[in-house]
Amino acid sequence: MRAINAILGFVDALNDHLGRILSYAVLLMFLLVLSEVIRRYIFNAPTVWGQELTQLTFGVYVILSGGHILRWGGHVNVDILYTKFSTRTKALVDIITSVLFFLFCGMLLIYGGSLALDSMSYWEHSISAWGPPLWPFKLMIPTAAVLLLLQGIAKLIRDIITLTTGVDASSQELVKKETA
Amino acid sequence: QDVITWRCPAHFPAASSSFKDSVQFVSALIKERTNGRFIIEPYAAGSLIPGPEVFNAVKRGMVPIGMTSSAYDMARVPILNVVAGLPLNFAAEWEGVYFHQWMGFEQLVKDDMLKNHGLLFFSDRIYTTELSLKKPVRSMDDFKGLKLRSSGIMQKYLTSIGAAATMIPGGDIYAGLASGMLDGAHWGAVQGSSSMKFYEINKYHLKPALNVAATDIWVINKNAFDKLPADIQEILTRTLEEHFWRRTNQYQYLEELELAKVQKEHDVTVLTIPPAEFSKMQAAAIKIWDEVAALSPDCAKAVEMIKEFNRSMGRLP
Amino acid sequence: MSIELLTLLFFGTLLLFLVLGLPLSFVLGGVSVVFLYFTWGPESFYMVAAQTWDAMNKFILVAIPLFIFMAMLLERSGAAADLYEMMYVWFGPLRGGLAIGTVAICAIFSAMCGISGAAVVSMGTIALPSMLQRNYDKLMAVGCINSGGGWGILIPPSVIMILYALIAGESVGKLFAAGILPGFMLFVLVSLYIGIRCYFQPHMGPPIPKEERGDWGRKFRSVRAVLLPMLIVFMVLGSIVFGIATPTEAAGIGVLGAIISGLFYRQLNLPLLKEASLRTFRLTGMIMWILFGAYCFTAAYHGMGAAHLIEDLMQYVPGGPWGTIIFIQIIIFFLAMVLDPAGIMMICIPIFLPVVTAYGFDPIWFGILFIVNMEIGYMTPPFGFNLFYMKGVVPPSISMMDIYRSVIPFTIVELVGLILLMIFPQIVLFLPNLFFN
Ligand code: NA
Ligand code: NA
Repeated sequence: MRAINAILGFVDALNDHLGRILSYAVLLMFLLVLSEVIRRYIFNAPTVWGQELTQLTFGVYVILSGGHILRWGGHVNVDILYTKFSTRTKALVDIITSVLFFLFCGMLLIYGGSLALDSMSYWEHSISAWGPPLWPFKLMIPTAAVLLLLQGIAKLIRDIITLTTGVDASSQELVKKETA
Repeated sequence: QDVITWRCPAHFPAASSSFKDSVQFVSALIKERTNGRFIIEPYAAGSLIPGPEVFNAVKRGMVPIGMTSSAYDMARVPILNVVAGLPLNFAAEWEGVYFHQWMGFEQLVKDDMLKNHGLLFFSDRIYTTELSLKKPVRSMDDFKGLKLRSSGIMQKYLTSIGAAATMIPGGDIYAGLASGMLDGAHWGAVQGSSSMKFYEINKYHLKPALNVAATDIWVINKNAFDKLPADIQEILTRTLEEHFWRRTNQYQYLEELELAKVQKEHDVTVLTIPPAEFSKMQAAAIKIWDEVAALSPDCAKAVEMIKEFNRSMGRLP
Repeated sequence: MSIELLTLLFFGTLLLFLVLGLPLSFVLGGVSVVFLYFTWGPESFYMVAAQTWDAMNKFILVAIPLFIFMAMLLERSGAAADLYEMMYVWFGPLRGGLAIGTVAICAIFSAMCGISGAAVVSMGTIALPSMLQRNYDKLMAVGCINSGGGWGILIPPSVIMILYALIAGESVGKLFAAGILPGFMLFVLVSLYIGIRCYFQPHMGPPIPKEERGDWGRKFRSVRAVLLPMLIVFMVLGSIVFGIATPTEAAGIGVLGAIISGLFYRQLNLPLLKEASLRTFRLTGMIMWILFGAYCFTAAYHGMGAAHLIEDLMQYVPGGPWGTIIFIQIIIFFLAMVLDPAGIMMICIPIFLPVVTAYGFDPIWFGILFIVNMEIGYMTPPFGFNLFYMKGVVPPSISMMDIYRSVIPFTIVELVGLILLMIFPQIVLFLPNLFFN
């Protein structure tokens, strides 16, 4: 049990810290957009890289957010029936519906991985005038899928614990405790 | 009788005239010629697969056939740099047709695509990329400081001759022109610019073309092709080969028609760069041609063909 | 299996898993995978990766984090609270005054921002706490934001209008002009509804208590709070109008304005930036993961033959021009529940437009109807992206059921607006005719 808790804690911490670091990327995007506007408008010298770098940053920023948001219970759902369920029923229902979650993430991992490998097979560069390497950014899709899957598995384990012991082990409880 | 249905994603928006005149037209013709035994089901840009992923989707067999832009896959298939059109490569459509069909360039690409990617290749048509502008441009010097929307190799070229070429997404171009952020943009030639509403703002259209190229291409997965009955294979191949000539010619006609229309409705003035200036601009493009030539032996061969053609026209020394 | 039956199964499964509480993004993505497997085969799964990569590469979406970040900075620096204090002092005596002020800000925000998700989330952050704190009924507070937050695609600039213009071959400028009066009309209608409802039921939007009403000195002092937000509005709109930035980049100008505003308030410090960044990250991610799922779902539905379904449905059109228009709008309303706007346009417009123009209707007018329809679709239960975006920003005391109930009256008001647009096409066509003929 302690080993399980340690692993769950590690997954939580991983997604948590990664998200906190990534969250600063909004400042980077802001500065990039602003500097591009200034260069173009004031100096009449737009860069070939400004817009694309902003775009690539945005891609990494949003795709890697999946696991972090799951860890904090931020993926929105319809809670109309759900809130009426008991803790145990919730856990059971979550275990059942997680099939769709795992199918989606699984495909994102396998086919996102395949997309990235394909790109790495010729060290793909962007076709733009700037031409940065694209493969590291495509690699973020399977990476994001792994982070999300890890968090999903952690949630599944917690649901199983809740179902068998009747004690709420969900990360929502954890969030409440941590923010209290 | 058995009906074979192929999904065919394209990179054209559903309403673009090319979706109708290239994809849906070929689809209807093939249906008729096979007596309904072979159906190619067209899907507009992004509805199944985003445009830049059509090539990959066909290559991995997710879909058997697709229509895409030759520019999307230049990084993976070097020869597509030439297909997509080197800057100032030719001065008119017929020159590009001659390059593809008489100088052997189309076959060069077909061999490359089949050998390296397991794909059958067909150029859809040859057409031009032309600038529509808010300010008059009559010489190479006029490009200095001109704020243009461009992309890829053309952006590199326009920057090299002194323009402030920027790559902003399609949806932002209109606003960019309207507000004065941009002095001009290229989106195909007249029909493309007109469909994007550029002439509501831009009152000048510049000729000759920035490039003449097979911007839109068909790719077919060879494994899927091999599973077709022999007579259907024959009909598919013949139809696409024939389509190239008919469509290229039709497109030129439609260009003239649209140009007359925008001249009348939007008071557009056609500007023509004089031959001497065109030669000067072509000379400035050679550095970029040579960069592409260095990418692969096939590219080198193709660039040499283009130079040879231009020498024969007396434009290059 | 017929596409009709598939559609029922497809949407039925979606509804079932949603009700069971699985997050929307995974329901959309997961259901797509299951149906792709049975209708197409595993080779189609590449779509999931390809659509995701495409969504990561849409530049217009970069405006989402920037606008949300702007809203977070305004909220945390106290600028938003001061603005509401000002509105409270001035409009407080009017029942529902703050809610009307909120929809006014929504309308202004819509003129700065071309996508709707960012507006709902931003206004939910700025306006909701201020209204709840002053004892506004939660249904009124949430409902007016959901309604006003959707106007981003109707009031120019609008990404959806540009897309429609391209698909329909119409002028972007005309469509932009056409959206202004309907946007203003919806603002007036919604404000009237709020005013009348709160007049008869003051608990929905209680007026400022007599003893708290300030003297003129307090009133005029509070006006200062308008200056900084006005500065931001001028910076954003000015940068678009004067050709300094694209509508997407203008979001970055908004952030600059919010930072300047934060400096004025002497609130701009590292902990604030850190917290604003983190909340922006989580909200942007929430929206984007819903979009990842939605893009897969739309593509899967396309692959199953959605266009055939729409074509089939068109055979059941009741006769006559108005029967057709209404029938088409009902189809759009249902599709707007789960498909992203661009997806709906791609499926529907090529099929609908020839029919509509054959009856002699103006394509510009139809475009505006279409957009108002989608707006309504996005805020009506059970699905509607804006409802979910709202859920992402409300305090835990507000449930999804509250959000559902909150939008019902506003939906009715917007439907009235829609009917007015149908009866009086001049509301749509007046400005485009004035500017372009
Ligand atoms: Na807008
Ligand atoms: Na809805």
